[in-house]
Amino acid sequence: MTSNNSEASVISEPKYPEVMEAPRYSCALGGAISTALGIFGTVPILHSGAGCGQAHLNGQAYGCGENAGGPQGGTSTPCSCLVEEHVIFGGENKLRNLIQSSIELMDGDLYAVISGCVPALTGDDVESVVKEFKEKANIISIKTAGFIGNSYKGYELFFLSTIDQLLKPLPVKKGRINIFGVVPYQHLFWKGDLKVLKGTLQRLGIEANIILREFNGLANLLEIPAAELNVVLSPWNGHEIAKSLQEKFGTSYLTFPGVPVGPKQTSNFLLQLAGRLNIPEEKVQEIIEEEERIAYRFIEYLGDVHILGLPHPYFAVVADSGTAIGVTQFLANEMGYLPETVIITDNPPQEARAEIIHQLSVNIESIFKPDIIFESDSHKIRLKLRDRSFLVLLASSLEKFIAADLGATVHLSVSFPSFDRLILERSYAGFGGGLNLMEDILSKTVAPL
Amino acid sequence: MASNDAHNLVEPGINLNAPTCPNREQRAHGINVYYGQASQLLIDAREGKLQAKDRDFQQTSGCALNFYLAVRLNTIRDAAVIYHAPVGCSASSLGYRELYRHVPVSLGRPENYDLHWITTNIQENDVVYGAGNKLRYAIREAERRYSPKAIFILTSCTSGVIGEDIEGAVNELQPYIDARIVPVHCEGVRSRLVQTGYDAFWHGVLKYLVKKPEKKQKDLVNVASMLSYTWQDRLEIKRILGKIGLRPNFVPEFASVDQFEQLSEAAVTAPLCPTYTDYLSKGLEQEYGVPYFLYPSPMGIRNTDEWLRKIGEFTGKESEVELVIEEEHKVWQPKIDALREQFLKLKGKGEKLTVLGSLGQGRLLAQLPFFDEIGLSSPAAMSQDFDNLILDEVEQLIGTVGDFKILVNTFQAAEQAHVTRQLDPDIALTCPFQGCSFKREKGLTRIHSLRADAHPRSTQSGYAGAVACASFLLQSWTSKSFQKTMLAKTRDSYKDWWYKQPDPLHYLKREV
Repeated sequence: MTSNNSEASVISEPKYPEVMEAPRYSCALGGAISTALGIFGTVPILHSGAGCGQAHLNGQAYGCGENAGGPQGGTSTPCSCLVEEHVIFGGENKLRNLIQSSIELMDGDLYAVISGCVPALTGDDVESVVKEFKEKANIISIKTAGFIGNSYKGYELFFLSTIDQLLKPLPVKKGRINIFGVVPYQHLFWKGDLKVLKGTLQRLGIEANIILREFNGLANLLEIPAAELNVVLSPWNGHEIAKSLQEKFGTSYLTFPGVPVGPKQTSNFLLQLAGRLNIPEEKVQEIIEEEERIAYRFIEYLGDVHILGLPHPYFAVVADSGTAIGVTQFLANEMGYLPETVIITDNPPQEARAEIIHQLSVNIESIFKPDIIFESDSHKIRLKLRDRSFLVLLASSLEKFIAADLGATVHLSVSFPSFDRLILERSYAGFGGGLNLMEDILSKTVAPL
Repeated sequence: MASNDAHNLVEPGINLNAPTCPNREQRAHGINVYYGQASQLLIDAREGKLQAKDRDFQQTSGCALNFYLAVRLNTIRDAAVIYHAPVGCSASSLGYRELYRHVPVSLGRPENYDLHWITTNIQENDVVYGAGNKLRYAIREAERRYSPKAIFILTSCTSGVIGEDIEGAVNELQPYIDARIVPVHCEGVRSRLVQTGYDAFWHGVLKYLVKKPEKKQKDLVNVASMLSYTWQDRLEIKRILGKIGLRPNFVPEFASVDQFEQLSEAAVTAPLCPTYTDYLSKGLEQEYGVPYFLYPSPMGIRNTDEWLRKIGEFTGKESEVELVIEEEHKVWQPKIDALREQFLKLKGKGEKLTVLGSLGQGRLLAQLPFFDEIGLSSPAAMSQDFDNLILDEVEQLIGTVGDFKILVNTFQAAEQAHVTRQLDPDIALTCPFQGCSFKREKGLTRIHSLRADAHPRSTQSGYAGAVACASFLLQSWTSKSFQKTMLAKTRDSYKDWWYKQPDPLHYLKREV
């Protein structure tokens, strides 16, 4: 390309919307590492440059409520640490030695070989190397070059690879479901939310395989085909997994627009689920009544700070689609908050956007409907939050120090990345989730009444 | 005595006509694996025997981009950073709007500033068709959005392997862009040593950003401080230099672009970490005649004294320095003596507590004499890397504190856990992310604070830092409940046989 005068080249300059300031996710490899680490007993083995796991720690793990890498994450994660000679001569032998030593040294129920950009560009035959170890250990290979997609894609690829390489048909267990669509280290509350939902579903006699955060991770994976139904808690992410499981094992699936936050969404979720699993509605209603009674009884405790301190504020949300829907619906439909703007940051595919808009407009009970904006560029997000009237900003910690300039009196990190709070088992899911959310929001503003 | 500048040990000179620096492997025979006595390492290095050997087991440890540059470059206040990379390479930068914001304005943090970075977010089709136009677009977009004074372009494995012509794009666009464009070649696959990333960054700074001096500033002292030096370290250095009528020019973190431009006008470049500052110091001397020294760093009382004396020599402030040293000693030496006494009492019978630190090679040189000063013994140390840049200094160090065992490894958690278990020091100083090596019966704390920690207890530099750090270490000794509980109640990352065999470098390929 010759250098024309500057005017001419500006005019002919193509636009690249994917050139962004601080998009709120990592790459496919990052999502696959996250998923492997979320399934306890899995040892991720990176076939990549030496910095990919560091980036996961600094970005994805610290960004998800300042979590450490744990026993198999951070700098404990085996990695082939590829350099120039492997670009030229190939890295298959290096990988072979690494898998061998990782199996020797690190206890694992499952070894997940996660390959990044470099072997994808140089054409290493990772699958053949992995195959050599099939007799020695449970091992799978996930091809996640960083340039093929983001963390959400990596989560899906982890499960799609598992389905292809590991899962075998099993007899269906009645009342058993799998839960997908909650991406570890990306959905801030993955550990807490899944625990809460499992407990809630147990009350209905539903056995939820949450796969993540339990010590029998491999058994959870292997039992995926035994489910009566797959449940995906996202308006788009994880749908590919459910479709693949339907094709391969004939399991039907139910999608829900996000992790249900607070009594109304949770009741709705349980009723839909019970309908699909043929659980008598009276039984569900009985549990809903009990749970709602206690949840709302406790909401009475916040009545004074709510009504005297910060009644019906305009609020803005900056979050991935599932979190945005859950939080916005709870605040708008149960707490009387006025949704002004919702910015969706996880770049959902075009075909999923109508449903997201529906959830954030038709399914919002107030007369006031929010502006719904799809934007992943943090610079543009900041500009689009200007000149508005919200007092409460539920966003990531990227918005923490600009919130005051934007006019917000309360900022709370509810979406990735969140470097400003430690999140272990905090949860906004289920009947009691709304209470936790209100505790966190109002604790940022309460003072003597 | 062999000199560090001998041609076969360290490549002489810096070639700013080249697009980037040589790798540390070539420039100074850098290695990231060794276990043995420091004295032997020195002999091996001088005989040219150090080799970058492979391991059959390795753990992710950072690359030229994603160890340091990705976390910190975005803090340069009126610059913008472009990652010419897939989206994950910049994940480490997501904290950019929060770093330093926790430092109170009352402690000298500017109230209003904005930090910026963007990613070209390289996609599959870019890999096939090239991403040059995207990079050009990103440069223009950075200029439009942020009107920065400088635009740093950080490269990645992918941009490198697909053969992106970075210099071509920079040369073509620079005439139309107000910001100075600074390409930094930090492709992860280029080098085994994360330190190559430092040199690559300074190469870009020296080549594109530093201006010819308009005037010499006789009171300006360049101090390159990296992430392990806290806000309080800066305040302490500023305080001491201020007493002798000097001003520090702290780069690169949280600096403004004009501070880089003025690097050529300083009276001297002084080190906090020699391995980090080396390339910058030598480049500034070669190009602009700014003198430098690389040893010691201002850590501990004696080191700080010597650091100040060196600065005094280059700035003609010898007598002022002596006065300040005397004054400071009156305040701080009694406190250090008291702390030393307490340390020596802990074991009794004149026995010293042993301490094992995981250090950069810069800290290795600075911290071992400090430990000695406060009555701790360091029979062993771990160093991220080792190269021929510091041979004379290691010799000097052995002279001061005696011979010690050294494990060279860059965040290899299994090896570090092994050595920590094997040597069983009274206090283990760990990086925050070293896997299982924090679970133990004896003492444990962090080696240093990170980021913009503004609490006085995190200071390690200068006189106040010596006292703060010694008392911090003493404090760590008073409770072991966390590490003991975790040792008892959680599983280790590695199988038992790992700890039962004697060699932390069990997986080293010895025949290479």
